[in-house]
Amino acid sequence: MGIAYIGDRFVGKTHLALELANPESNYVKVTYPAYNILKSELYSQEKEETISTNEITKIRQLDLQVQLPSGKKNLTLDWIDSSGENWRESWQQQNPQKWQIFLDTLKQSEGILLILSPYREIITVGNPEEFITHQQWCNRFERWGQFFQAQCPKLRHLLLCLNKADLFCDTQKEAKLLGYSPNGSELNWQQRNDHVFKRYFTPIKQQIRELNKNTEINSVRCFITTIKERRLLELPWLYLGTYLGY
Amino acid sequence: MGNIRVIGPREAGKTTYLSALASFGKKDKQFSVTPINDDSKKLLELAENILKGGERLEPTDAQQRVDEIPDYLFLIKGKKGLKNYKIDLNVKDYSGEIFEKLAQNNELDEKTQDYINHCLMKDVSGCLVMLTGWEKGEDRKYKKAFEHLIKLMDSRQRLKNLRLAIVMSKCERGEIWPGRIEPKTDLFSLHLPETKELLEETIPAKNLGFFAVSAFGVLGKNDPRPNRIDEVGRNGRQAVLRDTERWQPYNLLEPLYWLSGV
Repeated sequence: MGIAYIGDRFVGKTHLALELANPESNYVKVTYPAYNILKSELYSQEKEETISTNEITKIRQLDLQVQLPSGKKNLTLDWIDSSGENWRESWQQQNPQKWQIFLDTLKQSEGILLILSPYREIITVGNPEEFITHQQWCNRFERWGQFFQAQCPKLRHLLLCLNKADLFCDTQKEAKLLGYSPNGSELNWQQRNDHVFKRYFTPIKQQIRELNKNTEINSVRCFITTIKERRLLELPWLYLGTYLGY
Repeated sequence: MGNIRVIGPREAGKTTYLSALASFGKKDKQFSVTPINDDSKKLLELAENILKGGERLEPTDAQQRVDEIPDYLFLIKGKKGLKNYKIDLNVKDYSGEIFEKLAQNNELDEKTQDYINHCLMKDVSGCLVMLTGWEKGEDRKYKKAFEHLIKLMDSRQRLKNLRLAIVMSKCERGEIWPGRIEPKTDLFSLHLPETKELLEETIPAKNLGFFAVSAFGVLGKNDPRPNRIDEVGRNGRQAVLRDTERWQPYNLLEPLYWLSGV
């Protein structure tokens, strides 16, 4: 089973995946590869940042254990990490074969996590100028929507992850509300999606509606993620865990 | 062993029905339903992890070959006055595409023929045909599918010896909930009269039953609002469970009990 992490450059794809492997987990445990090994491959201690993904598509095996209401479930997944570079049109034109290989890999994936950066107007921490504007963000998603409709109409699950949540919301408060427990949570998946969608994704509601209408995607679901709040970080994987492996 | 096939159009709620059955079988006052094999236990997991989590099940894979369809084995046991009663059921759930191809009335492709052959095998005791539409236009579509199915049953000498449980699913919907008590009269005669007439003309009365079921149920005895929320999805609106705590399906067992021929 393939799960792909995709997104533009510098949205935090690799860091998000790396932190998932952190052993200080709640209900999602990465049993292979070990966090330290992964960290040595993906993180530069010197620069204190993740190392940019050089290869266009890097496929790693990821063994996960997710704790669901019915019990623990082990999943072996192909984690497809992709460089943000390949979303540039110039790159696609210069590397048609590599682009096609990448598309083929994506089409075979059961789930895609599209990592999105927040837009300037919602940033409350740090320098908002480092982020694209609301309008640019909507335009960019419009292109994502067209891409999924054209290239991945048979995808099973598309998870939209608005990353770096610590820069635009009170992550403690959101995690308390959205947090998951296999023994019963405050909100169910539908309610979580409604909350996140209404609060953070309404600028692109039309595009999401189009995706639901024009593709066979079973679910397009919205999440907020950050490496700084484990409860939010685990949610997309718990969601996928409920569906995969049957 | 009662071999049962479940067919019906896409989104009729076939797998959701079986999943609810696996999950709620223990709670029925007269019977217990126990999932026996890995496939049927997976149905239980789907109910626990997905339906109770406020999500919907994925559609059954239309690409799978007939030999890839899971076998759902259930043991049904009577309780109280029915203690000696025990049946083993082997249920197979087909993708909705099969039924829709019947409705198109064209020559069937090889895969659909495999499915039909499998569905009408000699050791199959009955089919649970799950329908969901009651709106104008649905009756004609269903009638076409049954005309085709009846021809195929006849060609395989199954017209007089195969039970058909015609089930209106999702009867928690406000428009049809009041008709659940007498589904033959208040649902099928009213909303699907041509289909009903065709079936009554061609299938022996002892082999034809009309039922109403609801995998989600309503919010309570004194609160008949459907325990479902509709959300926008593929093919229009799709329902998910509204309140897990108050989940109480309606009448899941009756059609299977009847099909088992006891």
